[in-house]
Amino acid sequence: MGIRKLSIICTFLLLVSVVEARPISWSGGSTLMYKSNSMFTSYYYHYSPSYKYSIGLEYMDSKHFEKEYINLRTTYLVDRKNTKLSQRNLYITGGISNESKDNFHYGIHGDWETRRIFTSFAYINKHTQTKDYSENEFQLGVAPYIGDYNDLHTWLMLKTKKDTINNNWETYPFIKLFKGDFLIEIGTKNSHWDVHYMVRF
Amino acid sequence: MYKLLLPLLILQTNILFASSTHDHDSDNHAYMHKNIDGSNTVIDQNKYNIFVKDLSNVKIAIVDVKGMVCDFCARGIEKTFYDDKSVEKVNVDLGAGKVLVAYSNTKKIDVDEIKNIFLINGQTATNVIIKEL
Repeated sequence: MGIRKLSIICTFLLLVSVVEARPISWSGGSTLMYKSNSMFTSYYYHYSPSYKYSIGLEYMDSKHFEKEYINLRTTYLVDRKNTKLSQRNLYITGGISNESKDNFHYGIHGDWETRRIFTSFAYINKHTQTKDYSENEFQLGVAPYIGDYNDLHTWLMLKTKKDTINNNWETYPFIKLFKGDFLIEIGTKNSHWDVHYMVRF
Repeated sequence: MYKLLLPLLILQTNILFASSTHDHDSDNHAYMHKNIDGSNTVIDQNKYNIFVKDLSNVKIAIVDVKGMVCDFCARGIEKTFYDDKSVEKVNVDLGAGKVLVAYSNTKKIDVDEIKNIFLINGQTATNVIIKEL
């Protein structure tokens, strides 16, 4: 890759700040996710009436706030650019909790990917009864080999994120594997496992 | 005489060159199809032959697709096509950005319907070629 291309990607990453990869399925598709990290464990089901948006319910077990609640979440595709070799997406997202009208979140996230490179950003504002905070996240990934359709696909990823509770950037590697309708991401930071599992149907 | 032969020679060269870009190229196993809009669609003859190996009496739609960069994102294309009972086989080629769809011969293929399937899956179909077996 040329220095010019690399600098463009780095600039893109700096300028923009993904909650989760592929937050919307195909029209009529459903997605089931499990996510666990040092802050929370969640189970999230969403349905996509159209490729433009998804709506779903998430059971959240917040380890930090020691609370359990349910979020009603939605994601809308604001913009998508398809080219022969790449796809770029920009989403807005939001959710409200059954716990309280003061417990909600909203944000923006986007990604750009080719068959070799994946980049993404996210900026989410979270409001709770006791504390308001925001989360920033950037991801950069490289596929060590280019798999065909139905093959096992592997991505070596680097994630850096910061929330205004801990107020420091944490950067850690993780691996993303997917085959067919199944995707799993596994990473580790500060002796905590960061696991994300997804199935589409 | 020279003035008469030269244009004929140029014309003949053009015809030969044009036919060589439209016909099967045995060196790279690529078949180049000239589209109505002047663009070219390159079809990998080996992949095409493997796809049609067990098929007969079908219509094949060869679709050029933009935005089909990820296997996980392309799953919906295959699922949506198989919802149509007249679809016998689907092949997704991420590398070439192409999808091959084999319909039973009784199917009246609507190119706009095919393009719409890609649209509702979030990709863009730029060109569709129909071949009959």
